[in-house]
Amino acid sequence: MRRFEDMNPLCAAFYYLCVLGLTMFGMNPLTLSLSLLSSILSAVLFGAVKGRGHAFSLILFLIAALINPLIVHNGMTVLFYFNDNPITLEAVLYGLTAAGMITASLYWLRCLSKVMTSDKVLYIFGRFSPKLALLLSMSLRFIELLRVRWRKIQDTQKALGLYRDGNLIDALRGRARVLSVLIGWTLENGIVTAESMEGRGYGSGRRTSYSAYRMHLSDWLFLPVCAGLTAVAVVGQVRSTVVFYPDMQMELWNLWGILGAAAFAVLGTLPLIINAKEALRWRGLLSKV
Amino acid sequence: MARLTLEGLSFTYPDAKAPALCDVDLQIEGGEFLTLMGATGSGKSTLLRLLKPELRQNGTLSGRVLLDGKDIGGLTARESASAVGFVAQNPEEQIVTDKVWHELAFTLESLGARRELIARRIAEIAAFFDIEPWLDRETATLSGGQKQLLNLAAVMTADPEVLILDEPTAQLDPIAASRFIDTLHRLNRETGLTVIISEHRAEELIPISDRLLILEEGRLAFCDTPKKAASALKDTAYLRFLTASARIFAGTDGAGEAPLSVREGQAYVNGLTVKEIQTAEKTAEQKASALSLKNVYFRYERRGADVLSDLDLEVKEGEIFALLGRNGAGKSTMAAVAAGLRRAYSGSVRVFSKRLKDYTNGSLYQGVLSLLPQDTENVFLRETVREELCGCEKAEERLPFDFKPLYDRHPFDLSGGERQLAALCKALSTNPRLLILDEPSKGLDGNMKALLCGVLKGLKREGVTILMISHDVEFAALCADRCALFSQGRIAAADETETFLFENRFYTTAASRITRQKTRGGYTVERAVKLLGGAGC
Amino acid sequence: MLTIRNTKVRTLLRYAIPFLLVPLLVAVGAVAFEGKRYLIISLGIAVLALLLFMTGFERRNIGSRRMVITAIMTALAVFGRFIPVFKPITAIVVLTAVYLGAEAGFFCGALSVLLSNIYFGQGPWTPFQMLGFGLIGLLAGYLGRVLERSRVLLALYGAAAGVLYSLMMDVWTVLWYSGGFDGKLYLAAIGSAVPFTVVYAVSNAAFLMLLYRPVGNKLRRIKRKYGV
Repeated sequence: MRRFEDMNPLCAAFYYLCVLGLTMFGMNPLTLSLSLLSSILSAVLFGAVKGRGHAFSLILFLIAALINPLIVHNGMTVLFYFNDNPITLEAVLYGLTAAGMITASLYWLRCLSKVMTSDKVLYIFGRFSPKLALLLSMSLRFIELLRVRWRKIQDTQKALGLYRDGNLIDALRGRARVLSVLIGWTLENGIVTAESMEGRGYGSGRRTSYSAYRMHLSDWLFLPVCAGLTAVAVVGQVRSTVVFYPDMQMELWNLWGILGAAAFAVLGTLPLIINAKEALRWRGLLSKV
Repeated sequence: MARLTLEGLSFTYPDAKAPALCDVDLQIEGGEFLTLMGATGSGKSTLLRLLKPELRQNGTLSGRVLLDGKDIGGLTARESASAVGFVAQNPEEQIVTDKVWHELAFTLESLGARRELIARRIAEIAAFFDIEPWLDRETATLSGGQKQLLNLAAVMTADPEVLILDEPTAQLDPIAASRFIDTLHRLNRETGLTVIISEHRAEELIPISDRLLILEEGRLAFCDTPKKAASALKDTAYLRFLTASARIFAGTDGAGEAPLSVREGQAYVNGLTVKEIQTAEKTAEQKASALSLKNVYFRYERRGADVLSDLDLEVKEGEIFALLGRNGAGKSTMAAVAAGLRRAYSGSVRVFSKRLKDYTNGSLYQGVLSLLPQDTENVFLRETVREELCGCEKAEERLPFDFKPLYDRHPFDLSGGERQLAALCKALSTNPRLLILDEPSKGLDGNMKALLCGVLKGLKREGVTILMISHDVEFAALCADRCALFSQGRIAAADETETFLFENRFYTTAASRITRQKTRGGYTVERAVKLLGGAGC
Repeated sequence: MLTIRNTKVRTLLRYAIPFLLVPLLVAVGAVAFEGKRYLIISLGIAVLALLLFMTGFERRNIGSRRMVITAIMTALAVFGRFIPVFKPITAIVVLTAVYLGAEAGFFCGALSVLLSNIYFGQGPWTPFQMLGFGLIGLLAGYLGRVLERSRVLLALYGAAAGVLYSLMMDVWTVLWYSGGFDGKLYLAAIGSAVPFTVVYAVSNAAFLMLLYRPVGNKLRRIKRKYGV
């Protein structure tokens, strides 16, 4: 079973580049509402955002929506006055659209973070620069090591009587000392790592970058489909008119606008479609076992 | 033609007066298994590093190393990286990348290999070394034994002709170490790989070695088969590098061919008569408890498994108590719980009959208890030994070791043994009555172990109670009064050292295994020799 | 396949990016995308600039010791974000740059942002943050000789870097939100961020003062002992 998460990382990267680009660069209310809906759906189904995350997004949405009418007073239709400043319908609607854009982008990014594990990030960097991928991989290992060691040094020093007074200054000074030991120890031992690298051929010539990921037929198919849908959605956005200030002019429901929105709807739910299809196929396969 | 030829190899470090290595000549055939022994500082590491051009250090070198007749310095970077594989002591630090599969790929990536070759080699190596189940894990989460096995596997991906190992099992527990050595033996036997290893573990290595090399002050003092070594080294100080069987044989003035393995040793000992010596009457006085744990339960995470479960332990005042067991079984966790660094969720912990929480404001760590961890690096906070030991003068006097020559050195530049003693000195500076030591003998050679053992016994005489956590049975046999086996989160058995080692069949010393059919007290070579009527060794 | 395997292509990229792609992007952006041209242009330039540095990095022969030390310092900067109260990321980037050079500083900054965002969440701001921290490191590397000598200058640099970084990120926030550059929104954004900026700048300076001696000594020792 090849779920969206198991596809080549380039596909996932390209996909999120497309949806994020369409979401961030457009201010089309139609596309943005579709984007918001599909991003929330994606985030829930991928398990990228849980209870508290949704609450945070809601608060962010509200704040982002409120800021614009409170600061920007352009627009013809005045709704009411607040502190002697006009609050206009246009500014309110713009604020809502911008808030939708920001919220949707954040939901997409959460999905991206969930799907793009460190392995996949490394794979993509390895394509550009094997050396950089190695540097990233080494840093990731050192992060884990530092975490383990921090704990160990903290314990050791405590048991040897480092934290005597139990006040804040003592705690801070102790932390700084522990950090200092941590750095010294890690740098010192790092030389062994460097020797191990040299012993195993580092710097003997050009590196290659290995990864278990390969391009399957489905990956090759995915990329043009994704690009095609994006292209249609872009044309749809260009052909529709969205003007907020000073007077709202919206023309969303022409042929291209509808086509573009439809393309975006498919694009936004593409990973879900793939996973549903794979799940169905899996059921069929299992029944044969 | 020999695979590896060393011709008049000498090496001097930049600021040293005497050469670290002096005129070494050696021919190593393809497929040989060579064990290199010698005291710390005898030039073992220097010699091994000279065989791998990338790892040569600054200094003056004379003589040549030839690989299949070609000078090893003349190889291209790629040739030499793949021809000679090198595994060093520290399992953790040799790992470069974050994931196990990536670590296996690293060597071939560096050599610019094709993707398909890398994929195939990873599959092959993972199967041979049995690391398939953890191929996707993060390297930081592996155990020490797994890490060292991964280092070996990663070096083997380049398909080297010669494999060099510099004390690879010094940091491992005995079970992981013998697994590692078994894998080496298998590699040597099944693929004809040439192996050169420096190591202190005579029991496992000597029976499988083709030749034994002994270095002394940079010179090759001995080089022949182990069988010959046993008779040739009989009356020399080098005897200590041999197995317990050979040492008992030499100590009891045995004649004929010397036994090497435990089995041969048993056959030899069974032909001897035991002379029973009167051991001093045991003092049966009831001593107060220094540390007591009752029904202790501990786990790291709420949903995790119990690391300690229903653990009972009692350490009496003024004794040396050794807690033995496999690595990762939870021994260190128990130490942390006993020292108040982790809180047990159930059960009671008392230090000198006082509950842990009654020691407020860190008073536990001032004059009551001190814990010395496995990794002594994290004891040191300063740039020089002098600053580090400032305020430890009293403690320094208690140790039979002169720290003054080391004063201007950086703590990280000390040798393993010196560092262990300096750390111990710091731990003693708060004047603790209970000392908990975690793996104090890790990575030390025989001489240093004996010195440390003397130090611990001296502290005991001063009234310090010592709880020692170790996987080193031989070390525990040397200095502990009582031993216990830790298993499944609790103490499986605690007893007097003699009874403990006699009744254990597997978790015991080689000397005890050899002599158990004749006597129960021969659990160290020295004791065995005394009991079997030797003059002492 | 899709990689830039070919060395020639890499070299081409090195020259094409500053002289061709960036002007092209500005021109196309100015004509084509009406609503959000600044956003697209700025994001594009950030990504291209990062790409430029990466191709340079791949080209150079970097010794294993340098690699390891850079990786450790990067890891430390990321790890710093996990320690409560302590957020010494800028300080570590600056110190790395001062002792190991401009390039190491740049990558320590850029990669620590990328890696820590794996834990804390990537955003459209990631390329800007990467470039921002990268440049803080790069500049510190160029000024290394001067900064190494004086703790006060180092602290001043840290504070200034903090303020400039905040100002830059606020520009980006405004661009993202409103499409064009809106002076009022920008002032509002700066105004609301003042307390954060101040805390940030002061803590940068403080951490540099605090870490200068211990970290500096260790890096010097390593450089001397192992000849990096």
